[in-house]
Amino acid sequence: MRALLLALAALAATPAQAQFNLRNLDINRVLDTAKNVGKAVTDISEPDEIAIGRDMAARLLGAAPLAADAELQRYVNQVGRWLASQTERPDLPWHFGVLEAPQLNAFAVPGGTIFVTRGLVQRMRSEAELAGVLAHEIAHVLRKHHLKAIQKGAQASLAGEALNQALRDQRSPARDKLAALGTEMYTRGLDRGDELEADRLGVVIAARAGYDSYGLPGVLQTLQAMNAEDSALALMFKTHPSPADRLGALAEKMQPTLDAYAAQPQLRERFAAETRAR
Amino acid sequence: MKLALLLLLLPLSVLAEPAQVIRATPLQKEPATDAARVAELAENTPVDAGERSGGWIRVRTQAGAEGWVKLLALRYGGPGAARRGDSGLAQAFSAARTGSSGTQVTTGVRGLEAEQIAAARPNLAELNRMQSYAASRDASAAFADKGRLRRQSVEYPK
Repeated sequence: MRALLLALAALAATPAQAQFNLRNLDINRVLDTAKNVGKAVTDISEPDEIAIGRDMAARLLGAAPLAADAELQRYVNQVGRWLASQTERPDLPWHFGVLEAPQLNAFAVPGGTIFVTRGLVQRMRSEAELAGVLAHEIAHVLRKHHLKAIQKGAQASLAGEALNQALRDQRSPARDKLAALGTEMYTRGLDRGDELEADRLGVVIAARAGYDSYGLPGVLQTLQAMNAEDSALALMFKTHPSPADRLGALAEKMQPTLDAYAAQPQLRERFAAETRAR
Repeated sequence: MKLALLLLLLPLSVLAEPAQVIRATPLQKEPATDAARVAELAENTPVDAGERSGGWIRVRTQAGAEGWVKLLALRYGGPGAARRGDSGLAQAFSAARTGSSGTQVTTGVRGLEAEQIAAARPNLAELNRMQSYAASRDASAAFADKGRLRRQSVEYPK
């Protein structure tokens, strides 16, 4: 942006030599720079997406460590990897982690890392419910919801070229700032439309993987029946539409899909065995 | 005493969970759209909810009518019953990480609120540990097979 302004200023300042300046300024490059500010979102390569996600995942793990239960961690990775295999991005480096935190929440990190808190897992009743939540987070990664939000948010504090640099170059001085901004996103939340889209896609992904399609609605009903003032829900409720609104949107848009796959396995027993306190 | 014991031994499928219907909805004799209608339930009708069959939940009204309603027409907790108090979990954890002086103790489990996220420093050791638990595509397919999960072809909504 700054380059474009300088270029325009140069053009305006010396009208008599405009012809000369135009030739020397490499006008294509100026136009490209201007264009990049607007469409940078779509241009981030997959390796860059994975690299920035890695920085953000490391920070979230700095806020809460993994639950110290290797069998639980492997179990959640099996469920998540099977779900991700049913999507249009099956070969991302998918990783799933249970965070040791009593709050009820889940997070999607660009590039294929998904976190769910132990507090939320403890409120679930079946593998289908776990699958529903993981599938919702997988949908955020597929549609690059966070990546887009980060770019939108970062444009305010990092000028166009610095932002592009930070996204593409891990050694850029602005890189740390970008990862911090990206992680802070989880305290503000996404657009309501992104959350509702992830709910719809999540139902589809869980059904594709062969799970009872009512897993995600089941978790939303659990959340909805809890006291909205419960401090364990504060951050999730601040960053998501209310469970009642999400259930209403699913009833409106997804009833046929929900009903068509409602009889698929819930795997209550396997879930109980794999998530028991060890 | 005997009666109390008997009640305790009843299966969980009894109609015991307070709930209410969030919109006018038919009460069906069976869990199917083409089943006979037992009654029409008005919005906010309180019911006791029980077992689930597909997208349906078995309920009983206060007038004693029994049948099935759509799962998504139901909200658990009933009117005013959502005030169930705090789980207390988050406070217990936040007390555990705060020393007597009120400063943060670095050992033990921390909570995951906005302030922890905003102030977090990267933890590369945990990142590496997480990556060590990854499942391969093939292993997860075998795991799905063990659970009799059958892959389906389902379109995304428009």
